[in-house]
Amino acid sequence: MMTSTTKQSNSLFKNAILKILSDKISLIALIIVGIYFLVALLTSVGLIASSWNIPVTTSYAPPSAEFWFGADIFGRSVFTRVVKATETAVMLGVVVAIISIVIGTTLGMLAGYFGGWVDELVVWFYTTFASIPGIMMLVSIAFILGKGTTTVFLSLGLTSWVGLCRIVRGEVMKHKDREYVQAANAIGASTPRKLIKHILPNISHLLIINFTQTFDSAIKAEVVLSFLGLSVVGRPSWGTMIDDAKLELARGVWWQLGAATLAMFIIVLAFNVLGDALRDALDPKLKGK
Amino acid sequence: MSEKVLEVKDLVVEFRTDRGTVKAVNGVNFEVFKGKTLGVVGESGSGKSVTALAIMGLIPNPPGRIAGGDILFNGKSLVNLAPSEMRKIRGNKIAMIFQEPMTSLNPVYTIGNQIEEVLELHQPNLSKAQRRDKAIDMLRLVGIPSPEKRVTEYPHQLSGGMRQRVMIAIALSCEPDILIADEPTTALDVTIQAQILELMKKLQKELGMGIILITHDLGVVAETCDHVSVMYCGQIVESADVRTLFKHPQHPYTKGLMESIPSFDSTKGEKKERLQTIEGMVPSLFELPVGCNFQTRCSKATEDCKGAKGEPRLHNIGNEHTVACFHPLS
Amino acid sequence: MNIYTYIFRRLLYMIPVLLGVCLIIFVLFNLVAPDPALLKLGKHGTVEQIAQINHELGLDRPLWVQYLDTVKSAFTLDFGRSWATQQDILEMIKLGALPSLSITGPLFLISTILSIALALLVAFYRGKLIDRFVLLLSIAGMSIPSLAVVLFGQWFFGYYLSWFEISGYESGFPEFIPYVILPVFLYVFVNFGADTRFYRTVILDEVYQDYVRTARSKGLSETVIMFKHVLKNSMIPILTQIIIQIPFLILGLLFAETFFSIPGLGAMIVNAVNNSDFPVIKAMAILSSIFFMLFGILTDVAYTLVDPRMRLK
Repeated sequence: MMTSTTKQSNSLFKNAILKILSDKISLIALIIVGIYFLVALLTSVGLIASSWNIPVTTSYAPPSAEFWFGADIFGRSVFTRVVKATETAVMLGVVVAIISIVIGTTLGMLAGYFGGWVDELVVWFYTTFASIPGIMMLVSIAFILGKGTTTVFLSLGLTSWVGLCRIVRGEVMKHKDREYVQAANAIGASTPRKLIKHILPNISHLLIINFTQTFDSAIKAEVVLSFLGLSVVGRPSWGTMIDDAKLELARGVWWQLGAATLAMFIIVLAFNVLGDALRDALDPKLKGK
Repeated sequence: MSEKVLEVKDLVVEFRTDRGTVKAVNGVNFEVFKGKTLGVVGESGSGKSVTALAIMGLIPNPPGRIAGGDILFNGKSLVNLAPSEMRKIRGNKIAMIFQEPMTSLNPVYTIGNQIEEVLELHQPNLSKAQRRDKAIDMLRLVGIPSPEKRVTEYPHQLSGGMRQRVMIAIALSCEPDILIADEPTTALDVTIQAQILELMKKLQKELGMGIILITHDLGVVAETCDHVSVMYCGQIVESADVRTLFKHPQHPYTKGLMESIPSFDSTKGEKKERLQTIEGMVPSLFELPVGCNFQTRCSKATEDCKGAKGEPRLHNIGNEHTVACFHPLS
Repeated sequence: MNIYTYIFRRLLYMIPVLLGVCLIIFVLFNLVAPDPALLKLGKHGTVEQIAQINHELGLDRPLWVQYLDTVKSAFTLDFGRSWATQQDILEMIKLGALPSLSITGPLFLISTILSIALALLVAFYRGKLIDRFVLLLSIAGMSIPSLAVVLFGQWFFGYYLSWFEISGYESGFPEFIPYVILPVFLYVFVNFGADTRFYRTVILDEVYQDYVRTARSKGLSETVIMFKHVLKNSMIPILTQIIIQIPFLILGLLFAETFFSIPGLGAMIVNAVNNSDFPVIKAMAILSSIFFMLFGILTDVAYTLVDPRMRLK
């Protein structure tokens, strides 16, 4: 009975993957995501866009055949900077999603499984967190920590875990009483083992869906942080590039805004589509038919 | 001789799917008479519900459509009727009740409101007060106690059996010529089942409508039907009046269905045997065998059945008993 | 349990949550935050100057006293004075609320009506071309960063085309209208995608329910089914979604107010961040939380009133 549930979730994934690969639009979305991740990887090791910080032409040069998106105030190629910013964005999205998933899942599992005062405590905790409107929380945390990459990670990560926590808690409470867990009980499986080996596979599809959503909201929230001057330092990000545009537009310089917006738009869109496809494939109950 | 209300002729219903077009109903014929009950029997996927939806004009298009044949209601063809015309018949002259009473009623409107809605639609000359009275009468007719109180209640305040009664009340409030009941008792407790079937028989006597009872349960068929059609893979394989069917089933599938009913009869004299099942599984509609659809599970299948003679057609073997088989049992 | 008991119990539960909110705010601003005295004086402050400022700001008192201060401000709504302007913060909030609402109010109204109407449209024509088109538009709309929309929109429609006021504000009705048209329009564009998708999902969930099949079998037309049966059922989750958005209206719009020079609460928050004005940020965080909790209770109460299955006896 225990193996049958892991098999069940495995076949669920296989089906989901097949379904996504067969649908043209989801496939394109998946490929786009793959390309972005690849680009991020390549820039992080310096294989491409390594010249992002070097002035290569005149200040505010407009787009041309050589520099597709022109140059910024320092004469640096906007296109190269946008590519380098991909690394920032991907890193951001991944780290924030991981932080949020780890916190949300751990707390959710503890609350759902142990019940009693543990549950009460966790519920009080996330209710409190959830009662402060996201934007205030984000602004507050970022403000306190000051600008920098860690700030972005922490502030975004700490504001995105509540939704997942609630869902995980609900699911664990449901699964706790299911037969396969009781069977595991009967053979004396220890608590962590039960949680990780048995219950976790059955909620992993929710984690994956949540990953795509958190990735997207992290990238979009970074723009808010940039606006407040609280975003990453030492490396370009789409948010800071868009924020810079507030000074540039008056001079008719639109290319930095255009490039960063376009780059962000494509990946957020792709993740959105992918997230939808995953949701349809993995959790029919959440179908957005 | 009863009046014929409905005639289904060579009905074909197709559905377009990712894997191709499939015929959920493939050449179905039957007739329904006033005051008589036709049972349509078959396993899930046999096409019985789709047939019912086709009669009601409720085949979702896309992905489905009526691809052939005709449905004659009191002589008038329903198949090519304009949607606005069909809506005048639906709920009014032909009504349907479904399998899931728990979810078939709208949770945010009162029961009275939901009955009155049909009356308002099809009998516009009734006043509000008259509609309310009729609703209460219908509730009383279907055996719901204290109908004046119930009429202002919401569905969630009623049990499953009561909700199904309300569904019947809604269906019969315009006194239709035909009532289609798609597995009306499958989702109910056995004791409630009996009550609902009793109720339907009683109402048929009082109101005189023809009933099409769709079910997979032969016990229900034996209790309530006058004539039976057995469906398999979208086609009718046998059709007869109820006694004949039970006494002398001719199609191996029908015989298999009969034999798989558990029997408590200890007077048979034989040792209690294992439950008989029909070997094999219903083939997917995408992969139907050439020739007879039942050949893969039939103990009597021969070379003839595998396509040499084409598909078996329904032929009369006497007394309005038709069967589609190359090797009927007697 | 009747409705008053229910409300009372919810209000009661609000207290430990509010205490928790104050705790989080306290931890952030009084514990984790960098020393505001240092922020003010920079590296050149002497030890005495720092101690002096800390004393003035009340930061040298025991921690639990500072926590209680935060709690007290939450319950009395007395947030003290702004470090930057010395104004009474509650007064500042009262002044800034109206300009913010003059944008978020109309925005909320227009957005909601538009999104629901669109959602009904595509639910009615589900699967057809217009459904896919609107869906595509919605997802695209959700994927464009709002800051980009505001910047580009202001430049394009305000400056380039000169169709609208670029910035500025006049209070009083109807004088404020020309100043809010553009920001409202831009944000309707930003928000409609997510809203339409949500409402579409809610409505479609109802469309596929069994009772719709029953309604069809009665001979009702698709239009009646949509507007009588589906809509009423959909309104339950839709209403809750609408009510819960209201508390966010007072936060104003951080980007729009800044760029369009509208003296609302959003601009106030941004200024506070730029000026390291702790008490203002704290005040807004606490106030918005209180609103959020109150409206949460309101939402649940509305739910019990609207859904016959949830009526409290």
